[in-house]
Amino acid sequence: MKKKTERVRANLSFNIIGAIVLVHVLFGVLVSFLGFASFTEAFKREYETTTYHMADTATTLVNGDHLKAYLAGEETEEYQRSKRNLNLYCKKINVSLVYVIDVDTSDYGSFVSVFNSVNNEVDDSSYTEWELGHKRNTTNDEYRRKYRAIYEQGSVCETVYRLRPGDGAHPHITTMVPVKDSAGEVRAILCIQRPAREIREARRPYLRNIALSTILLALVSSTVAALFIRKQFVAPIQKVSDEATRFAKENTKGEPLGEISKFEEFARLAHSIDTMETDMVSYVENLTTFTADRERIVTELSLAGKIQEASIPNEFPAFPDREEFDIFCTMDPAREVGGDFYNFYFVDDDHLALVIGDVSGKGIPAALFMMVTNILISDRTRMGGNPAEILRFVNEEICAHNEAEMFVTVWLGILELSTGKLVAANAGHEYPAIRHADGAFELLRDKHGFVIGGMEGVTYREYELQLAPGDRIFVYTDGVPEATAPDNTMFGTERMLAALNEVPTGSPEQILKKVRSAVDDFVKGAEQFDDLTMLCLEYKGAKAQEETLMSETNKTELTLAAALENLDTVQSFVAEALERAGCPLRTQMQIEVAVEEIFVNIAQYAYAPETGDVTVFAEVSGDPAVLTLRFSDGGIPYDPLARQDPDIGLPAEERDIGGLGVYMTKQFMDELHYEYRDGRNVLTMKKTL
Amino acid sequence: MTIGEHRDGSALTLAPEGRLDTITSPELEKVLKESLDGVSELTLDFGKLDYISSAGLRVLLAAQKTMNRQGSMKIVHVCETIMEIFEVTGFLDILTIE
Repeated sequence: MKKKTERVRANLSFNIIGAIVLVHVLFGVLVSFLGFASFTEAFKREYETTTYHMADTATTLVNGDHLKAYLAGEETEEYQRSKRNLNLYCKKINVSLVYVIDVDTSDYGSFVSVFNSVNNEVDDSSYTEWELGHKRNTTNDEYRRKYRAIYEQGSVCETVYRLRPGDGAHPHITTMVPVKDSAGEVRAILCIQRPAREIREARRPYLRNIALSTILLALVSSTVAALFIRKQFVAPIQKVSDEATRFAKENTKGEPLGEISKFEEFARLAHSIDTMETDMVSYVENLTTFTADRERIVTELSLAGKIQEASIPNEFPAFPDREEFDIFCTMDPAREVGGDFYNFYFVDDDHLALVIGDVSGKGIPAALFMMVTNILISDRTRMGGNPAEILRFVNEEICAHNEAEMFVTVWLGILELSTGKLVAANAGHEYPAIRHADGAFELLRDKHGFVIGGMEGVTYREYELQLAPGDRIFVYTDGVPEATAPDNTMFGTERMLAALNEVPTGSPEQILKKVRSAVDDFVKGAEQFDDLTMLCLEYKGAKAQEETLMSETNKTELTLAAALENLDTVQSFVAEALERAGCPLRTQMQIEVAVEEIFVNIAQYAYAPETGDVTVFAEVSGDPAVLTLRFSDGGIPYDPLARQDPDIGLPAEERDIGGLGVYMTKQFMDELHYEYRDGRNVLTMKKTL
Repeated sequence: MTIGEHRDGSALTLAPEGRLDTITSPELEKVLKESLDGVSELTLDFGKLDYISSAGLRVLLAAQKTMNRQGSMKIVHVCETIMEIFEVTGFLDILTIE
């Protein structure tokens, strides 16, 4: 991380400084070049002008009228004088050559020399003086053009530069001016060859100065730029970068960066980093809390799922010692917990209750509702009664406390194992599927009552069904027919029946597995949307157990001490007999009152002040079922029935509690009979259940 | 038996739970005897009472007589089966039931 930051810094400084140096150097080169060019131009013009003046002055030393005569061989005194003056002049003005030539104007291809003064000292040259009349050919076209300009076009001055002569000579310029006669005709050309050394010598320091100052300027400005960039750009970026690195490593809120630069962009960047850190830290905190909450919820949910699973029987075979039937159930919640449930349990030895239910909604609310409903139904069922009665009771209970306004559909059946008689009631639940021994599974379109929890005061109708050995009943929740394939078609009861009828004679476990695999094939891996619950029972017919059941359970006798502390024992004894017969709650309580009143009477008065025993006989028989209760004791003879009934119309102040117990017994029991036989008081009571 | 008790000034609410029979009635009788002093409004909540025998009725009658002298007494949340017993025994006429 650290290395990377330094590389960024190096790049920034060096790249920008490098760019600045390069730009300055290029600029310097350009300025030098332009300056050099214009300097050279100006210098040349000045050089040219002074040379022209030199040449123009020299023409005054020559008499233009006599030139032809000189060439004709008249080396007059005047010629000698002009020659001497030109030689002197040539030395005086420090030029290499001063010469006068007469050019052949027919083609300017040659000329003859008139005067020729040589000064080899000036430029360390080695020219030899041309004699009068010395003829030469013109060396190139440039000279030819210049000669023509002077002779024909009236030019007053022409200059030829030889700054880089190729013939080994030193750099020089040659300036030409016309030599005219007194009539103004051009008679010859006077040329001055002057060394160009001064031009080069003047240019060199100029070039050096300009290059030096450019480089110096580039260095100074680069340094200033570098310092500025480092302070204003690199340092703030370094701060931001360090803080970002620290934050990435520690994930804690640091000192705010604050005002790190006067530039708006950097200030914004620093502010953004500060804001980001604050936001990130609080976000991480939120996330941590949220994750912890979520983990807790997940744990609790999974525990809730286990509790729910354990609240219904889920070990199969459930009753391995019962040969009359085989049962199998499955419950697959769509989420961790579900709103579906099944249940089965013995109401008494001969009656098996079967329950399946489906709570509206899913998840935790549905699961809580399911638990309540399941417990209410099973508790109420064990108290005895018919399915319709039970559902009605459960509905009232649920409606009384239904804050969430949820409801549950329930199918409840009670199967009498000795006869195969199934009594069932349906509170808005799916139609059961029945298979009679030799047929196929078919839907039983039973009478539906209203859902439980929907409305108070609802009553339910029940129906009877005779199961023969080999018959099977299949109940399920809507998760089965409403299982949905990816193309939104539903499994439906048709496919369900088809799956059932593939294994009509299979065990309940095989049947449920078949339906489940058919559903799985159908939905093709689509997410399970609803809870999926099934129960299947096969009735195998009454067994030999039946007889012992009858003789053992419905007719019993109990002898014990006639003492108040035995009241509960007697009550449970009678209750046991009633439970096996499936006695309604209301009737059972009336019988309990009678049992208590008679037993307490015997316990308190029969042997007083001594003690003795009492024999209680209880039997349920016949159709409709009738309970016969008999109390016999060996105490003093006493007929409780002979006692006069109390006046129950009297106001409280005049009422006496005496005789009320026997009175209630008389009211609640259908038949009462007393006799004193073999030295014992025998009281017999009958009650239709 | 469990007897829920709630006192608000001179108003007393007692809520016996379970069965009020020969064995358990003396408990309610004892509570009533100890707490009725200075009570002018007695409420018996039978919401959690499943069963009553003549022994229970005897305690109710005694309580009603006491309260007739010092204020009023009413019984609330009486279930159907107990209501039937009150009816059969004529207690409906001497008790105030809501």
